[in-house]
Amino acid sequence: MLAMDQGVVEEWLSEFKTLPDSAVSTYAASLKDKGALVPALYKVIRENYSDLLEPVCHQLFEFYRSGEPQLQRFTLQFLPELLWSLLSVSAARDPHTSGCIEALLLGIYNLEIVDKDGQSKVLSFTVPSLSKPSVYHEPSAIGSMALTEGALANHGLSRVVYSGPHLQRETFTAQNRFEVLTFLLLCYNAALSYMTSTSLQSLCQLSSRVCICGYPRQQMRRYKGISTRLTVTSEFLVQLITGIHYALCNGEVELGSKALDDVLYRAQLELFPEALLVGNAIKSSLHGAALKSNTKEGARSIQVEITPTSSRISRNAVTSLSIRGHRWKRHDAVDLGSPDELMDISEVDEGVWPGGVGPEITPPTITISNSVTTLNLGAKAMKKCRLGGRTSKDKDKEAGPLLAARAASENAELSVKRLTLTSSQSVPKAGALTSLTRTASAVFSRSFEQVASGNAPPSSNHNASEAGRYSCSLQEEGLGYLSPGPNHTQRSPSISVHLGSDL
Amino acid sequence: MTARKSGSRLETEIERCRSEAQWDKIPELVRQLSAKLISNDDLGELLLGECKLQTYLKENPIKQGASPRGPRPKLVEVRKHLTAALDRGNLKADYLQEASLLMAKLCYVEGEYKDALGNTNLVGAPVYRLSMIAEAYATKGLCLEKVGSTEREQEIITCYEKSGDIALLYLQEAEKALSAGIQNRSPKPGPAAQDQELGYFLETGLQRAHVIHFKNGNLTHGVGRFREILRAVETRTTQNLRMTIARQLAEILLRGMCEQSYWSPLEDPPTASPLDDPTRQGHTHSKNYSLSRRPRVYSGENLFCPQENTEEALLLLLISESMANRDAVLSRIPEHNNDRIISLQSASVVYDLLTIALGRRGQYEMLSECLERAMKFAFEEFHLWYQLALSLMAAGKSARAVKVIKECIRLKPDEPTIPLLAVKLCIGPLHWLEEGESFAKMVIDMGEKAAEFRAKGYLAIGLVYSLKATDASLRSTQEEYQRKALGAFQRLAQSLSPTDHLAAFYLALQLAVSRQIPEALGYVRQALQLQGDDVHSLHLLALLLSAQKHYHDALNIIEMALSEYPENFNLLYTKVKLESMCRGPEEALLTCKHMLQIWKSFYNLTNPSDSGRGSSLLDRAIADRRQLNAMTLPDFSDPETGRHTHTCRVTSPPLPPSKNQTFTPLPPPPPLPPPGPTKTRSHPFCNHVTLRRFSSTCSVHATSIAASRVEQALSEVASSLQSSAPKQGPLHPWMTLAQIWLHAAEVYIGMSKPAEASACTQEAANLFPTSHNVLYMKGQIAELRGNIDEAKRWYEEALSINPTHVKTMQRLGLILHQLQRYSLSEKVLRDAVQVNSTAHDVWNSLGEVLQAQGNAAAATECFLTALELEASSPILPFTIIPRAL
Repeated sequence: MLAMDQGVVEEWLSEFKTLPDSAVSTYAASLKDKGALVPALYKVIRENYSDLLEPVCHQLFEFYRSGEPQLQRFTLQFLPELLWSLLSVSAARDPHTSGCIEALLLGIYNLEIVDKDGQSKVLSFTVPSLSKPSVYHEPSAIGSMALTEGALANHGLSRVVYSGPHLQRETFTAQNRFEVLTFLLLCYNAALSYMTSTSLQSLCQLSSRVCICGYPRQQMRRYKGISTRLTVTSEFLVQLITGIHYALCNGEVELGSKALDDVLYRAQLELFPEALLVGNAIKSSLHGAALKSNTKEGARSIQVEITPTSSRISRNAVTSLSIRGHRWKRHDAVDLGSPDELMDISEVDEGVWPGGVGPEITPPTITISNSVTTLNLGAKAMKKCRLGGRTSKDKDKEAGPLLAARAASENAELSVKRLTLTSSQSVPKAGALTSLTRTASAVFSRSFEQVASGNAPPSSNHNASEAGRYSCSLQEEGLGYLSPGPNHTQRSPSISVHLGSDL
Repeated sequence: MTARKSGSRLETEIERCRSEAQWDKIPELVRQLSAKLISNDDLGELLLGECKLQTYLKENPIKQGASPRGPRPKLVEVRKHLTAALDRGNLKADYLQEASLLMAKLCYVEGEYKDALGNTNLVGAPVYRLSMIAEAYATKGLCLEKVGSTEREQEIITCYEKSGDIALLYLQEAEKALSAGIQNRSPKPGPAAQDQELGYFLETGLQRAHVIHFKNGNLTHGVGRFREILRAVETRTTQNLRMTIARQLAEILLRGMCEQSYWSPLEDPPTASPLDDPTRQGHTHSKNYSLSRRPRVYSGENLFCPQENTEEALLLLLISESMANRDAVLSRIPEHNNDRIISLQSASVVYDLLTIALGRRGQYEMLSECLERAMKFAFEEFHLWYQLALSLMAAGKSARAVKVIKECIRLKPDEPTIPLLAVKLCIGPLHWLEEGESFAKMVIDMGEKAAEFRAKGYLAIGLVYSLKATDASLRSTQEEYQRKALGAFQRLAQSLSPTDHLAAFYLALQLAVSRQIPEALGYVRQALQLQGDDVHSLHLLALLLSAQKHYHDALNIIEMALSEYPENFNLLYTKVKLESMCRGPEEALLTCKHMLQIWKSFYNLTNPSDSGRGSSLLDRAIADRRQLNAMTLPDFSDPETGRHTHTCRVTSPPLPPSKNQTFTPLPPPPPLPPPGPTKTRSHPFCNHVTLRRFSSTCSVHATSIAASRVEQALSEVASSLQSSAPKQGPLHPWMTLAQIWLHAAEVYIGMSKPAEASACTQEAANLFPTSHNVLYMKGQIAELRGNIDEAKRWYEEALSINPTHVKTMQRLGLILHQLQRYSLSEKVLRDAVQVNSTAHDVWNSLGEVLQAQGNAAAATECFLTALELEASSPILPFTIIPRAL
């Protein structure tokens, strides 16, 4: 360590001690003008054996304890470096050197877990719900939402605790280490916008090292520090990823993406679903987004472009929205073209729902309510119907229920109502029909859930029954989903027969 | 259309065509118009000019970012019309203004920016004119930018913002007019219901302001502008814009902001923000215009206004999601391929952002519900399937997760992580060992392709075999699986990098389970050299030492481990056992008290019993947290003597392992009135013939599955009646508590203090009245008090709940022996031996019964077996150590 750096640090140490309380905030503001100070402090932390480490840690804690936000952020910017220092020392099983860093980190932790009155702090947030009006929307404009059990449980706003309450900690143990560090990272992440790029870089380095040390990838990264593996927790990795995401979007493209890769690598090895989930999402959402590396300090690279406001989806494509205009009917209610074609459809449906659904429950037929002529369906229209029928089944929860719903009376009622509506030109947005449809779909989704979970027990052939129930295509997999099968791209009626035979 | 329309009606018609952008009808209407009055000629010129210009723009749209291309022959006509309209000066003031606005637009299109500027001069006005004014402001902004007057940046932004505001107002008014028009429709409906398109100028006006803000690094104002647009009441035309802007704002909130730099949409932005580019601080921009009419914003009482960046991001994403979901293209015909890709892309960006936001807050359950909605896009889309699988896994919906994982494997058969995730679930919460085995084999079959994950595959298959061995009822299958497990762990040791302790650890554990104590000790030492603070290795070491009857050493190890893992209940249970063994029951009781304190500080901090049932999500959140805590506490994984636990686990996939509290072979028996099992150490050798003979009959598992399911259900009902503990995960802390009480009771029994033991048992019974462990303990207390009949009744009740509870069987067998019902006693004990062939005290009791029946030879064999087993019996079963990926 250079004498000059030492001088800067020593000056900083003595200056704050003599500072009167009234001058703290001006002092805090002036800190960022001391250009040589921050790099010098980094050096102190990196060189574990420096005599200055202890007074520096002490002063950083004093900064944090002052409650002055700028001073707190000054301390926080060193957090990644401090974490690495702590972890590398504990991995090297050299307990003597990191005492003051441990004390600093525990000090910050113990300050942060309580509020001003000394009560345990609980961090919570409100889960927004589309069913309640907000400054950005009106529930009525959103349209019908699937009334799943979850949606009903979340009806209305609810507050959710995401961190806390935490216990005061006197020492680090193997058991509480990552609990404390995760919480500290949470505090760091809450102040990300105030962090310098050096700090963000240090965070990325920390992430990479924690994740790869002791694993084959360490050679690839040519990191020659410790080579013992560090145990990590999934929550810790998620917090790291949050910070990396910010760094990645704010100038640290290279280090950030390396760090993200390393964290994902480790999450894969550890089979942590949470970290994989968030990491994959970040990777995929940034894929294609041009990230600019920053050229100058502080340049944030968030950019937006003017986007076309018209829908880019062509009007004649069947979408979730357009299919809402479609109506399902009993086939005996409509004069369908030829009986042969009708047979085809029945076969389809018996194939799809072999159990439970008797022949009295009818195959889907569609009338397109926007078109003026609906009742007289010729062969061409039939083709269209079938296409619609298939695709709409893809939209499982909306379409399926009307047929699968066991309440036959409800079905009958629906089809009666529908009959009266078939030839009308515009579809009423709300009203008895839609609300009925919604109820029916809600009923279905619930039963869907039940059966899906009811099939949980470890029977190797439970899939078959489930597939029979729901799947129109995934014959061999038997997933509980109505995922469209590969043959959906064709339109010939033979698909349906093929499907049936598999079940 | 030959019939002439009366003047006013004609004008209405013209106005309607203009606002609905039906330019093709204008020329005909103009012809009718000019036929009526000469003075209409100028208006006619204006309209013709307008319709030609609009048609031109429709046919040759200006692309965003591209400059208009200078004069065009077609536009010459437009200019002629407009000049004619303007020159004669006969137009009414309103129309004059319109003409000027059109002229300005034309000038811009032709690239004459300077000329365009002269014509913009504005006042407020009604419906269609609103759009013209909005376009005019946009035009002015565009021109100013082209002229390149950087010092006028403020003015440019103001132009765009005004243009955007007026455009929003126009769209709202237009929609109002349209919906009014639907009721009293004029003669012909026209295809007006079609979505109106905004066109280049309005689009620019709406968006250019925030684009400039962000370009200048002025995040604060960009976000402010976004929020203004989003707060305006939605119209059909703005839906797509809103979807995009909502997503972009969410992106900015997630990528560029943090909790501390956030301000709520209804607050004023902070004056100095770290979000703004410090180098461009000079360009602070403030809103300095007011409009006489502003677009309507969402209003009303109890409007939800986000207070935190994740909240706002979530709200925006949910809105965006509902729109993206609505636009999901469902048809799979090739013509719609592009549409489908577009709808998929816009949706998957939203779902990725939702994942980021909810992941940060740990809301995996909600996330899994959101991602289920994405499934309509998911056909053959690996990313969506994988994310759903992970979210289900994170939300604890294991069974569904495994099903989705199967689809992921189908889509990406070469990815080793995916089957490994499935194995993790199968051997963890689900206990689907068969499926686990097939998933693990998939990884191994990948061979070299799986690279570093291959070792993980061996580990997985080893664990599957190890668990199967524990479950197996036939001794031969048990040995077979043990051999296979050892083989897999050895392969693991070869393929792993030398820095991994897991191979050595699991080898040690497997050897320990098959009672090869010295070999196990060797491996566990090796594991500890690699990972000195690994809690499981330390625990195993302690148990191994206890099996060698080095109780003091074992206790030292446990205490060492506890210094690093002070809240690990598993270690503490072992400590209680060891303490009552070598330091006397008082110490053990102190440890029990300490455990209660830890439990209280750990779980009671949130005071779970007080959290109202109403706020279910809050409850769930607390529950989630506890489960997180539990992850560092591998205590519940494997109580009970060996295999029985697993049968219980099979029955209750979603539950954290059952309520079978940890009990072991009783510490050589409490001073009981009836003759306890007395050990004769006279025969130092043994053979396994008896072992084999006794355990070669079929298993009793089927019954136990049903029984423990009943127990689960009953305990759940019971516990939900008396505490507010919700159904699943949150039972965990209560189970811990009950277990602590039962441990204390056991210590008291050891001290022959039935009253205290009974009090402790009662505490546990309050939590889980129908637990077989509670009933078993009650039986022991009754025995201690000398009430043989009562004890028998309790034991029978315990067995009716869990017919394979070995310790109960052993006690019951002894009692029956006392009552001289030898053959029944023998039957019970033989059953017990089948369930767990390593329980030495059962063998001992069986020996006594056989002896009493005069079957001395068989009795001898039993005693010998008991002896041999006792010599390698740990203080708590080795299987208490969790085996998980």
